Amino acid sequence: MKIPENRKGLITLKKFILLLCCVAVVEYAPLFAQGEALYKAKCASCHQIEKNGTGPMLKGARQRWIDAGEGDLIVEWVQNNAALRNSGKSKRAAAVYKEYGGAVMQIFSEVTPEQVNQILDYADAPPVAPPPGTAPGVPATDPNVPVEEDGGISNVWWLLAVVFIVIILSVSGVRRQLKYATSEKAPDNSLSYWDEFKILAWKNRAISGVVGLVLTIASVVLVFQSLGSINLMEDYQPSQPIAFPHSQHAGVNGIDCKYCHNSVEKSKSAGFPTVNVCMNCHKQINGKDAAQQEQIAKIYVAAGWDPTIKPAGAYTGKTKPIVWNKVHVLPDHVYFNHSQHVVAGKINCTQCHGDMKQMEETAKVVPVAELNNVEGNLPLTKPTLTMGWCIECHGKKEVVIGDGSNAYYDEIHKRLKNNKKLYQQYLKDGKLTASELGGWECAKCHY
Amino acid sequence: MKKSLIIWIGALSMAVLTMPSCASDPDSPGLEYMPDMYRSPAVEAYVDYGEVRGRIDEQKKGRLTALTPPQFTVPYFGKDSALLDMMLPYHRLPNQLMRSTHGVYGERVSQADEYTLATADLLNPLMLDEKIIEEGKKLYSSMCQHCHGEKGDGNGPMVTSGAYAGVPNYMEEARMKISNGQMFYSIYYGKGMMGAHRSLLNKREIWTLVHYVRSMQYKDYLKSGMVTDTTKKS
Repeated sequence: MKIPENRKGLITLKKFILLLCCVAVVEYAPLFAQGEALYKAKCASCHQIEKNGTGPMLKGARQRWIDAGEGDLIVEWVQNNAALRNSGKSKRAAAVYKEYGGAVMQIFSEVTPEQVNQILDYADAPPVAPPPGTAPGVPATDPNVPVEEDGGISNVWWLLAVVFIVIILSVSGVRRQLKYATSEKAPDNSLSYWDEFKILAWKNRAISGVVGLVLTIASVVLVFQSLGSINLMEDYQPSQPIAFPHSQHAGVNGIDCKYCHNSVEKSKSAGFPTVNVCMNCHKQINGKDAAQQEQIAKIYVAAGWDPTIKPAGAYTGKTKPIVWNKVHVLPDHVYFNHSQHVVAGKINCTQCHGDMKQMEETAKVVPVAELNNVEGNLPLTKPTLTMGWCIECHGKKEVVIGDGSNAYYDEIHKRLKNNKKLYQQYLKDGKLTASELGGWECAKCHY
Repeated sequence: MKKSLIIWIGALSMAVLTMPSCASDPDSPGLEYMPDMYRSPAVEAYVDYGEVRGRIDEQKKGRLTALTPPQFTVPYFGKDSALLDMMLPYHRLPNQLMRSTHGVYGERVSQADEYTLATADLLNPLMLDEKIIEEGKKLYSSMCQHCHGEKGDGNGPMVTSGAYAGVPNYMEEARMKISNGQMFYSIYYGKGMMGAHRSLLNKREIWTLVHYVRSMQYKDYLKSGMVTDTTKKS
């Protein structure tokens, strides 16, 4: 069959397009994956795709070089930026170098031009959007849901009480008026309510005596109970300047408690992270939605980090302390040392602080009932942060002895063994507790 | 009569209405038994010294007691001279760029690229043994793992959860080649997006981590002491 000359060209074009499509389908995906792999291996530690970081963002990088009229030089720039800069043939190279304050990019002579293009293709491709609402690690929280307030008697009840008292008084007033209206006698205005009450009480002496006694006893009991609740800290959850969700940091992102509460193994206090610790991650993470961004902006103000400074944000030196509210307040007459409990006592953080990986709100003094629900915790009964709670745990917690990890306990144990009778008595329950090694001595905590 | 009724009702409702104000301030830890025993006059961390023994000092109210130690002070670390040597101030200064990138305020900075100069710091002053690697593993799991990953491949939970991107893989050739001193410098002052970790780790701990990271990179690090001249022979 003879094909006319003009048709021939058409077929070749068709074939070419078909071939191109095949190539695109077959080769684009692996090329894209290669670009991604290369980006992650070589570039990701300094370049982000959509945000300037240590180096400029890669999205649109090729276009920026083309715009500068040097589109052909970008490959050279990626492979050996120092050589291109020194050759003086590229204005763009000098400009980028200056914009980033003379920060030097690594030399990647092993990366081929094809690979550079794969990386740039990957960077320019639209990101695969995650389905809405399933952004990894963001708990679905509605900022409009008000936080339930607990503790104290709600104002509604007080209002109800007022209403009832008013009703009772007005009904009794009406009754009094009716009484005078039906009787022949003129109303005796000289008698006040109090006088009438006294007369009534005298008439029913027996009943009012019993009621009076019960009321007195009840009020004495109530007063003593309320005295006992002074300084009960359970559920105490002061407001904080930044809504910090432990669930996100320790839970989803798997940051160890000790990363932020850094001195817990070294010092009396567990340590509150300074803002530079926050900035170790938040320099990059500025929040996924407006609510998060608002909170993280407060860290930036505290750290003196201005994300608007070109090209990728910078520290300004104007810092401002964040004033957090202390949650676990112990009076000065109690000595508590974190490092003793964590290192020598080998007590897990959850024993006293609960499972912070689940805590979505700011920190609070976790009630003992919630603490008991955490797996691996020694069950206790007294309210959290009271002395009863402390000594209850000291009386129950078994001390690990003889593994050479704690010389102090080993020495106490050695001396205890000299008193065989006492030692046998202590071992009746099969374990040595902290209290049996001196954990109940007053001066251990009060001095 | 009516007047007294109104007075009674008025007084009662006033009493009832004022009662809710007795409910405690949500930011106050509540009544204290003996307020003079709650805050010591001696300064302790994280205590508000706005009120001590009933005396209120407006200037100190809400001020941090967690202040940084004066510059050039060296904490006491005992009498072991090798340890003391290690704990002396780091001889490399932060790069001047770090003022704006890593928030180095009020410190001497260097005009030179000290990270590159640190290629010359080959020696890890910490004696290498199994215990150090064990210590390093513990430190690594609490201080580094969330980003750098358990195996050092840069796939920690921070990265896999999608919160953070761009953590390098230790096993790449370029990263295996950096000197011990560069690794120390990066942890101490930070590098790229990573912040300084000198407020979290002391120098001995950083050198421990350098040993541990090396042991991840080189399988027989503990046995051979790795690329010989970069590690002190024990």
